[in-house]
Amino acid sequence: MPDKHATLEAVSDEALARQIAGGPPGSTDAEEGELYRRFAPRVRLYGRRHLQDAAAADDLAQEVLLLTIERLHAGEVRRPEEIASFILGTSRMMAQGERRVSRRREALAARFMDTTIEVAPLSIASLDADRVAACLSALVERDRLVVELTFYADREAPRIAEALGVTPGAVRTIRHRAMARLRDCVLGGARS
Amino acid sequence: MNPPGCERIGLAELIDYAAREPEETQAAAFEEHLFSCADCGARAAEFDALVRAIGPAIRSGKVGGFVTDDILNQLAREGIRVRTFTLSPGAVVPCAVWEDDELIAMRLRADLGGASEFTMSQRVAGTEVLRATGQAQTAATSRGELIYTLSASWVRQLAAVDIEVLLSAHEGGEERPIGSYTLVHGGSFHR
Repeated sequence: MPDKHATLEAVSDEALARQIAGGPPGSTDAEEGELYRRFAPRVRLYGRRHLQDAAAADDLAQEVLLLTIERLHAGEVRRPEEIASFILGTSRMMAQGERRVSRRREALAARFMDTTIEVAPLSIASLDADRVAACLSALVERDRLVVELTFYADREAPRIAEALGVTPGAVRTIRHRAMARLRDCVLGGARS
Repeated sequence: MNPPGCERIGLAELIDYAAREPEETQAAAFEEHLFSCADCGARAAEFDALVRAIGPAIRSGKVGGFVTDDILNQLAREGIRVRTFTLSPGAVVPCAVWEDDELIAMRLRADLGGASEFTMSQRVAGTEVLRATGQAQTAATSRGELIYTLSASWVRQLAAVDIEVLLSAHEGGEERPIGSYTLVHGGSFHR
């Protein structure tokens, strides 16, 4: 019998949306999980940029996907072939209004926390803090500092540039180089 | 429809987007493509996982090095226990590391002058165990202070021993010592 998760990975976004919309709530957990796996990282990235807060971005991803699934079940997504646009539009709406409702968050957590859905490719989803810490420590000092200031302290290039006495353009160049090295180091360790 | 093997959004574009580099109009076009392209979405998922792993790694206290007050402030906001030592050149201070400390921050004061780089050498019982070179930071230079962090768990596992820290500045192609500091480590403390 084929693995249902593996089968769903080959299904288009539109077909996935139609399967969720066509099934009664409670009967499409695998499809909902697949939709979450596909889109939550994109919504989280959207939230990281627009909400400027990693925790708020996490919340946004959960709320947007829960609302999307609710709307699909209710037959309120009129064009399932445009499910990606629906999710992006919902992300924009919820981020602008900052309508993060704890009830939705709790409901989604209850739904997904007991599943084993991977939200990223296995090679990177299995990262542990020790490995990433070792790779961060292996970066040269300035590169590591730019990564930490950008993605941990959430500082923008002009402020980092001021702190380090370089131009914002140099910060961008350093960030590209540092993140590429960090990714290669982390993935190298994950594959070994 | 997604083009097969689409590579329109790569690591560089994802980094810039997350770092809020592009203008809003460019960002909106980026988002339209990101949400409709499975290939780019998969790369975004990998990038998202990498970025999300940075915070836990830093919070683990295992990433040492030169930092700024912005980093220390974020650690404090997240409840990380940072033990701070403010050290002037020649200082010899007891190094009290408690069992629940997660990070040691050394504020190394010195005449930083117009140096472009600094090297911190750390010796335990006379043997160099760590050497790190960092570039000058505008804020640090104006304050006459560099901040270096160490893993508290690493310090805790040391026997009672002196930890010597030597700071030197690189200026005009030459390296000159600008500070020597000693932490007298008496072992781990328990509450």
